[in-house]
Amino acid sequence: MSLIEVKDISKTFKVSKRRGGVPGMLANLFVPKFERKEAVKNISLSIEKGEMVGFIGPNGAGKSTTIKMLSGILYPDSGEIIVDGFIPYKQRKNYVGRIGVVFGQKSQLQWDLPVIDSFELLKAIYRVPDAVYQKNLSRFTEMLDMGSFIRQPVRQLSLGQRMRADIVAALIHSPEIVFFDEPTIGIDVVGKETIRSFIRELNEQDKVTMLFTTHDMQDIEKTCKRLVIIDGGTKVYDGTLGGIREQYGTSRQLDVEFAGRAEIAPIDKVEMETIDENKKRFIFENRDIQINELMNQILSRYQVRDINISEPDIESIIRKIYNREVDGI
Amino acid sequence: MRIAPYFAYARKCFLGRSAYRFDHLMSILSTCMQFFIFWGIYRALYGANSEIDGITFSMVTTNFILSMGLGAVFCPDDYFLPNKIWDGSIATELLRPISFKGRMIAENLGNAAFDLLFRFLPVLVIALLTVGVSAPASPVMLLLFLFSAFLGYGVLWTISFAVQMTSFWLINIWSLLTIKNVFVNVLSGSMIPLWFMPEWMNGILNFTPFSSIYFTPVQIYLGQLSYGEIAFKCGVQVLWIAGIYLIGNFLWKKGQQKLVVQGG
Repeated sequence: MSLIEVKDISKTFKVSKRRGGVPGMLANLFVPKFERKEAVKNISLSIEKGEMVGFIGPNGAGKSTTIKMLSGILYPDSGEIIVDGFIPYKQRKNYVGRIGVVFGQKSQLQWDLPVIDSFELLKAIYRVPDAVYQKNLSRFTEMLDMGSFIRQPVRQLSLGQRMRADIVAALIHSPEIVFFDEPTIGIDVVGKETIRSFIRELNEQDKVTMLFTTHDMQDIEKTCKRLVIIDGGTKVYDGTLGGIREQYGTSRQLDVEFAGRAEIAPIDKVEMETIDENKKRFIFENRDIQINELMNQILSRYQVRDINISEPDIESIIRKIYNREVDGI
Repeated sequence: MRIAPYFAYARKCFLGRSAYRFDHLMSILSTCMQFFIFWGIYRALYGANSEIDGITFSMVTTNFILSMGLGAVFCPDDYFLPNKIWDGSIATELLRPISFKGRMIAENLGNAAFDLLFRFLPVLVIALLTVGVSAPASPVMLLLFLFSAFLGYGVLWTISFAVQMTSFWLINIWSLLTIKNVFVNVLSGSMIPLWFMPEWMNGILNFTPFSSIYFTPVQIYLGQLSYGEIAFKCGVQVLWIAGIYLIGNFLWKKGQQKLVVQGG
C-alpha cells in the first residue's frame, strides 16, 4: 500500500451560467441556469513515501481540486482517497495535522500580524514542541533568507517574501507529506531558485513526500523525477520526466547552414523549413529516419558549413500535449 | 480536545484588535452616541413623568446602558464564515487540525473580551458619570445577571452561527444577516424596552429567542424576576442555545459536503 492512494475520484461542480447584459441579468434572476462541470474525472494515483511528484496541467485541468480533495478540504463525489491510513475528508481534524499545504494564491498568514506571530499561532495550533519549533524556525529562516522581514506585518511584505513565509508556515510542524499548489506563481527568477532548492533539500534530507503543481516547467525539471499530467479532469501521463521525452518527444530537428544558396530536393518523411537564404531546418521522427542516414544524404550532396541537432524541450512537448497534438492521448 | 490552540486564537483576536486604534476609539464614541440618542428620546417621551406603566425612567436608562453596553460586547462576527467562503480562504482554514466551530467561538470570545474591557467599561463609566445607572437589585442578582448575560451571548452566537451556515449554499448572505440583525435589534429590547411592547407582541416574543438575549439579564439586574422565574428564563435560554445550535450544526455538516472553494 502506497503512502498516498487515490482511486477513481471524481468531483463535479454546479456552475451558474450567466447571460450577459441587462436582459440576460433579468432572465437569470427568474430562471437561473446551471451547468455541471466535471472538474475531476476518475483520477487514480499512488505515491510512495519520499517521492516528489510534479503535478501539471493547463489552467482549469483539475489540479487544485485534486489537491483540495487530498487535503481533506473538498469531498469527492465518488472514489476513494487514503493518505497515510486516513480518509482525508472524513477524518479531517486528525489528518490535517500530518500534512502541510501551500496555496500560492491564498496566504495562510495573519494579515495584520508580524510573520513571527503567525508562526507562534501555528505552533500553538499544531502543538509543536518548543525545541522542534525553534529548530525548524531557525533552519527555515536561514534557508529561505527571511531574517530581514520576519518581524514585519504580513500586509507590508512583497509577494516573494510572503510566499517564503507561507512555505515556512506550512512546514513549521514538520509534516511528512506536503502539497504545493503553485508555490512559485508570480515569483522572480532568484526567488524561484531559492524555493526550488529549498524544496529539493527538504525532499532529499528529510524524505518529505511531495506533490507539486506549477506552470513553470523549470520547477519540475529542477525538482521532480516523476511527472503526472492531467487535462480536462483526467490523467493523461504518469511517469518519469525522461519517459515523457521518449513517449512524446520523438521528433528531432536538424539545423543546417549551407556554404552557398541551397536548392535542396525534398527528402522523404522529413519536413523542411527555410530559416534564411542558406539555412534550412529539417524536422523528422526518429522512427521514420535515422539521424546518420539523413546527415549522410545531406553531406554527400551539398556543401555544409555548420550543423546543429536538437531535441524538443519539455516545455514544447507539454504544449503539444495540452493542445492535443500528440498521439496516444 | 485540548484548549491551548483555541486560546491562541482568542489571544490573537484580542491582540489584533489594538492594530487600528483610531477605529477603536470611534467605536467607543459610536456606542456612547447611540446610548445618548436613545436616552434623549426617552427623556423627552417621559417629560415630567417619573414613571410610565410602573416603569421608572431610571429603569429605562439602565435597560439602555446594559443592553447597548452588552450589545457592544455581543458582536459575534456575522461574516466569519461567509467572508471565508466568499474569498475562498475557507480552504486554508480547513487545513488546521482543530474544530472550525471551536475556533469560531474562540475568536468571537477573544473579541468579546476586548470589547468588554475597552468598550463596555468605558461606556459604563461615562454613563455613570453623566446620567447615572441604577445599582443592581442585590449582589446575588448581579451574579445571576452575569450568568444570564453569558447565556444571552450564547443565544445570540448560535443565531449568528446558524444563519452563517447558509452561506455554503447562498455565498452572499448580507441580506439574510441584515434581516437577522433587524430582528435582534428591535425585538431584543435594546431599542424599545420590551415593557412598552403591546401585550400581544410580548406574547409572540415569548416564543422567539430574541428576548432572552438582553432583556432577561436586564430584568434580573433590576430585580424584576423571582428566583423561580429566573430559573425558568435561564432554562429557556439554554433550550434556545441547544435548539438553534443543532440546526446550525446540521447545516454545517451538510454544507461541508457542498463546499465550493472560490478563486482557484
